[in-house]
Amino acid sequence: MAFVTPDFVPAIPEIFVLGMACLALVVDVYITERYRLFTYQLAQSTLVASALMVIFLYPAEAVVTFNGTFVSDGMSTVLKVFILLVSYFVFFYSKQYLRDRNLFRGEYYVLGLFAVLGMMVMASAHSLLTIYLGLELLSLSLYALVALNRDSNEASEAAMKYFVLGALASGMLLYGMSMIYGATASLDLAEVYRVASGGQANDTLLVFGLVFVVVGLAFKFGAVPFHMWVPDVYEGASTSVTLFISTAPKLAAFAMAMRLLVDALPSLHGDWQQMLIILAVLSMAAGNVIAIAQTNLKRMLAYSTIAHVGFLLAGILTGTQSGYAAAMFYVIVYALMSMGGFGMIILMSQAGIEADRLDHFKGLNERSPWFAFIMLIFMFSMAGVPPFLGFWAKWSVLRELVAGGVVWLAAVAVVFSIIGAFYYLRVVRLMYFDKPEDATPITPGRDMRVMMSANGLAILGLGIYPGGLMAVCVSALGA
Amino acid sequence: MLLLLVCVPFVGALLLPFLASRLRLPPAGVASLSAFLGLILVLTQATPVYDGEVLINRWDWMPAIGLSLAFRLDGLSLLFAQLILGIGILVVLYAHYYLSAEQAQSRFYVFLLLFMGAMLGLVLSENLLQMLLFWELTSLTSFLLIGFKRRDPAARQGARLALLLTGGGGLALFGAVVLMGQIVGSYELTAVFDSGQSIENHDLYPVILVLFLIGAGTKSAQFPFHFWLPHAMAAPTPVSAYLHSATMVKAGIFLLGRFFPVLAGSELWFYAVSGMGLATLLLGAYLALFQHDLKGLLAYSTISHLGLITLLFGLGTPLGEIAAIFHIINHAVFKASLFMAAGIIDHETGTRDMRRIHGLFKHMPYTGALAMVAAAAMAGVPLLNGFLSKEMFFGETLALRWLSEAEWHWLFPWAATLAGVFAVAYSLRFIHDVFFNGEPRELPKTPHEPPRWMIVPVEILVVLCVAVGTLPSITVRPLLEAAAGAVLQMPLPDFSLAIWHGFNQPFFMSLAAMGGGVALYAGRHWVFAVHDRLPVKLSGKRLTEGLIAYLFDFAHRLDHALDNRSLRRYSFLLLLTVLVLGALGLWGAPLAGSGARTPLDSGALLGGLLLGAGALATAVKHRSRLIAVLMLGLVGLITSLLFAHFSAPDLALTQVLVEIVTVILVLLAMYYLPEATPHESSLARRVRDGVLAAAAGIGIAVLSYAMLTLPPDSISSFYLAESKPAGGGTNVVNVILVDFRGFDTLGEITVLGIAAVGIMAMLRGLVLAVPERDWLGRPWSSDRHPLVLVTVSKLLLPIALLVSAFLFLRGHNEPGGGFIAGLVTGVGLILQYIAEGSEATRPRLPWDKLGIVGAGVIIAVLTGIGSWALGYPFLTSTYTYVTLPLIGKFELASALFFDLGVYLAVVGTVLMILAGLGGLTRRADSV
Repeated sequence: MAFVTPDFVPAIPEIFVLGMACLALVVDVYITERYRLFTYQLAQSTLVASALMVIFLYPAEAVVTFNGTFVSDGMSTVLKVFILLVSYFVFFYSKQYLRDRNLFRGEYYVLGLFAVLGMMVMASAHSLLTIYLGLELLSLSLYALVALNRDSNEASEAAMKYFVLGALASGMLLYGMSMIYGATASLDLAEVYRVASGGQANDTLLVFGLVFVVVGLAFKFGAVPFHMWVPDVYEGASTSVTLFISTAPKLAAFAMAMRLLVDALPSLHGDWQQMLIILAVLSMAAGNVIAIAQTNLKRMLAYSTIAHVGFLLAGILTGTQSGYAAAMFYVIVYALMSMGGFGMIILMSQAGIEADRLDHFKGLNERSPWFAFIMLIFMFSMAGVPPFLGFWAKWSVLRELVAGGVVWLAAVAVVFSIIGAFYYLRVVRLMYFDKPEDATPITPGRDMRVMMSANGLAILGLGIYPGGLMAVCVSALGA
Repeated sequence: MLLLLVCVPFVGALLLPFLASRLRLPPAGVASLSAFLGLILVLTQATPVYDGEVLINRWDWMPAIGLSLAFRLDGLSLLFAQLILGIGILVVLYAHYYLSAEQAQSRFYVFLLLFMGAMLGLVLSENLLQMLLFWELTSLTSFLLIGFKRRDPAARQGARLALLLTGGGGLALFGAVVLMGQIVGSYELTAVFDSGQSIENHDLYPVILVLFLIGAGTKSAQFPFHFWLPHAMAAPTPVSAYLHSATMVKAGIFLLGRFFPVLAGSELWFYAVSGMGLATLLLGAYLALFQHDLKGLLAYSTISHLGLITLLFGLGTPLGEIAAIFHIINHAVFKASLFMAAGIIDHETGTRDMRRIHGLFKHMPYTGALAMVAAAAMAGVPLLNGFLSKEMFFGETLALRWLSEAEWHWLFPWAATLAGVFAVAYSLRFIHDVFFNGEPRELPKTPHEPPRWMIVPVEILVVLCVAVGTLPSITVRPLLEAAAGAVLQMPLPDFSLAIWHGFNQPFFMSLAAMGGGVALYAGRHWVFAVHDRLPVKLSGKRLTEGLIAYLFDFAHRLDHALDNRSLRRYSFLLLLTVLVLGALGLWGAPLAGSGARTPLDSGALLGGLLLGAGALATAVKHRSRLIAVLMLGLVGLITSLLFAHFSAPDLALTQVLVEIVTVILVLLAMYYLPEATPHESSLARRVRDGVLAAAAGIGIAVLSYAMLTLPPDSISSFYLAESKPAGGGTNVVNVILVDFRGFDTLGEITVLGIAAVGIMAMLRGLVLAVPERDWLGRPWSSDRHPLVLVTVSKLLLPIALLVSAFLFLRGHNEPGGGFIAGLVTGVGLILQYIAEGSEATRPRLPWDKLGIVGAGVIIAVLTGIGSWALGYPFLTSTYTYVTLPLIGKFELASALFFDLGVYLAVVGTVLMILAGLGGLTRRADSV
């Protein structure tokens, strides 16, 4: 049988990342401890170059290649750019932290690059198989990253839990995919869409496949009741890894949800809307309420993530183009905020001290007024206080919910947002109104200072002028 | 221009720290300068607005979602902008003398200017979302101002409570605005006004109204959200004078006026708004009398007056609106001056407790005189501004009688008079208790007149009280008309602002209020005693705090219930959810399709039973690991047999070999583990988990049954049809592997090779200590290599190799192929290792295992390139037939070479992994 050489061009960024990850792996074996920074620089330049390639290759219209397994379109481009951008910041924030803890090894960056590759593949997946491949590449890298700090019992335990539950969820996802394949006789999402919406597929089978696919998705998102791994992993992993897990993979998970639910199975919107409503309500409720009970900031942010995921799902479940755009806006905003939140923990952590308890943030204003202000931006933004970026994210989702006729869900979302505002504002209160337990000033390196400030001011600046980012999301889904 | 106006305070706030620290300008000067600049800007714009014009400036902001930055200056905004800026200047001046030097001065003015800017933005907004933004900003900045004394727990609590309520109310308002915007299709006020009755006639109108009232009510301290205001009195007095007289608390009132044209007019509006206002009016007036804190009295009186204004808006009559707006102005003026006076008293005596402050008139006669005038205005004494609006209010409550739909109209005049009685009483108390009534007791400071300029703002305000009270037509009428016109959005009715209307009913109500108030104050000891004995003291603060405490408690309990950090709990919940979801999905769906059933035969039945028993035994005996692994092997074996039974010989072959290899692998690993797992879970838990597992198993079984009985699908038809013509083989599975999906297979064997390398790298240098004895203390068997096994394995190896060659060659057409053949060879070789030990076997298998894997991959790649060389795309296959002696006609496909590569890669990998793991033992032995 003839073998057709596919069009490699749309996948050049992925191929490049793969090549560079392998290169970094090999190079890292041969360089001595003194030159370890080289691996870091290699990883960072890979991300930058790849992002430039993605932007340069921005397709006028969707291009499908590799026998219908890979697609490059507006959504994939935008998500990839943000995945790469966020990863760049993550690697950057982690540098000093890892050094201080003697974890500054090539593994972090190599695994990180492979995870990035997995996410990019997920963003561009056009076949059930590609989705799964990307997802597993990402997940396996993350399992290993969580266990990176091998001397830490918490990290090993978290990695083990993550792995066991993750494997279970992957299995379910795969099970669901196989049923969809059984019902539609194709792995190609476009073909699945054609068969499913043409009414030629066996409905029972398809709905079952959908149930398991949604379970898999919910797990990857960390939506309640598939959220149990999130707090343990966030707390157990070293903060640099938590930072990574909490940001870019959410973008990829969003891409996966869009590909599976919207690109392939819009004909089952009624079914998955029901499921997502349940997940969204439970996530918003449990996430926001349980977060109040936390004393560990990483754990608190884990529950905050869960609550945000609820919002994100609410955007997707509207089933409208503008709803998807709102959800995409939300997930990007979330990634930027979460990056800042965990970045602040890293910034506060000095050698030997892990500033992951709420108490560590007491009186931050006296130790560093500027970073207290930056943290205030992140907290307010996460709480959805105008005019910060997080407000617009919440607002656009709520608007779409109302427009989509799910007014009650919007009301529920607002109620839980109010409850959620509690714990964010508690952090602000601790920073500004309490006396610090340890009054040493915070003195991060200059580069860290600049990047962190840029992160915070971006939340503020984009909050004052959110139109641009919003327009990007809208047009990305239109292309 | 309007944007500039809104920007002025913000820019001032931004520059203030710099100007104050570098240029040594007094911060209060900078602040008042910005406010003054703003006021001038407003006044330059005011003339057309007085004529009824509406100025709208608009800039594109977020075109993607149709949002623009838009400002609007109409009568209502003009009135509020003047109040905000005018009183702002006075408050800044006052604060300059009030705040001590050590209190971070510039911080205070920065907050104040930010608040001022937010308020201006709020009242000048044309776009609703932008209005919300400023609304929340006022909540935030007021939080900073109320909590200005950071170390004071009361200030922190008060600030938090205020933020909690007003911020939460803002979110409710947000909901109302989003809904309104959705109905109207635009977030511009102009469009909303033009929409006419569409909001009122919409199904969601009650929801909108309730959300809207929660927003406005929390901000304006309306019952039942009024309780934050008294606690906010922990703020520095200038803040109270500003926020709690003219600005912050009036924001909710502003909103009532703003949305009056679109929301008012319905019965629901009447009952909800006037009801809320009435309750607030009475409650505030009543509670104000019993405060001992000077500012507390003013706070409750503010609540009461806000209730009065709300009530007027609730009535929905044009004259009522005019009265409401009039009272907004009057209340702002007299209450600001009263707060300032209270601040002066606090400042000069060191306390605000009215049980200690008495007879101040002797010490500060001038301040006393001013405060008395202002308090008289608050009580509604004629010739002062409070009297006029109160008179109008009384008149409006009486006018209700002619509105036939209002059933409870008779209640309003009585309630209004009652509130008036209390207002007179608490105003009297403010005057009499503080300035007369004996001598001061235990004051921390000796009271005297304040600095000259501190009293100037009070003077100005009191002069205004009198001016408005005596010459209303000249002083306020134009502003009032402009503002009322903007609220009503229609021509104004005729109204009179004269100070004397003759002996009409409102005048008698005023008289009654005066008389009653004096009587009430005279008999206050008796009233106080009754009040103290009231059993129920509902405290909104305690209620809120209780709610929050409950929420925290609930959060903790939920945390414990869901998040106990046990993997077992997590997986239990996960599986349970999936089971429930699956069951829901299965509900009502046909459990069996119409596909043809294969008849049940005894072999399959037996196999099924054995399979079940094996699985069950594995679960039950999982603590004895060896038995569990053997049982697992049994399950695998039966599965393979079932494959064979149901005509899938290829699968069966693969399965059985994979089973063997895995069992060996597990056994090798188990060598390093304890023989048995300890008991860790209780019986109940095991039963629970067992039930869940059984349910999940049954669920999957049902699902499988449903799927298998569906009419057969066409997934495989393509391969079945194309296998022979395109790939030259009749064994479809093999053709798929080496031809249709040849590229995948190439990738797979490469990965296999990489995995083997990885495992080898990880095992290199790894030495595991093996215990000499097992966990019961028994020594391991000394006979490591049983003779029988050694002999049999020697015999088996050639047979295994022969079989694998056979399987390999026939693979393309019959069950077999490179993968299976590779496994057979691998297993045969592994048997040698097991039987004779690594040391004995190694010399006899001298080949580099990594080399085998590499050779396999290279051969496969070369096959692919070969087709390139012949001018076909990569991995194109072809086939031909050759006849060999003894074997007969024999098909030779190019894919066979590819399969050879697969074969070699599999053999190499299996050997590398298993021999590598086995090798660990050897090294451990020699240690």
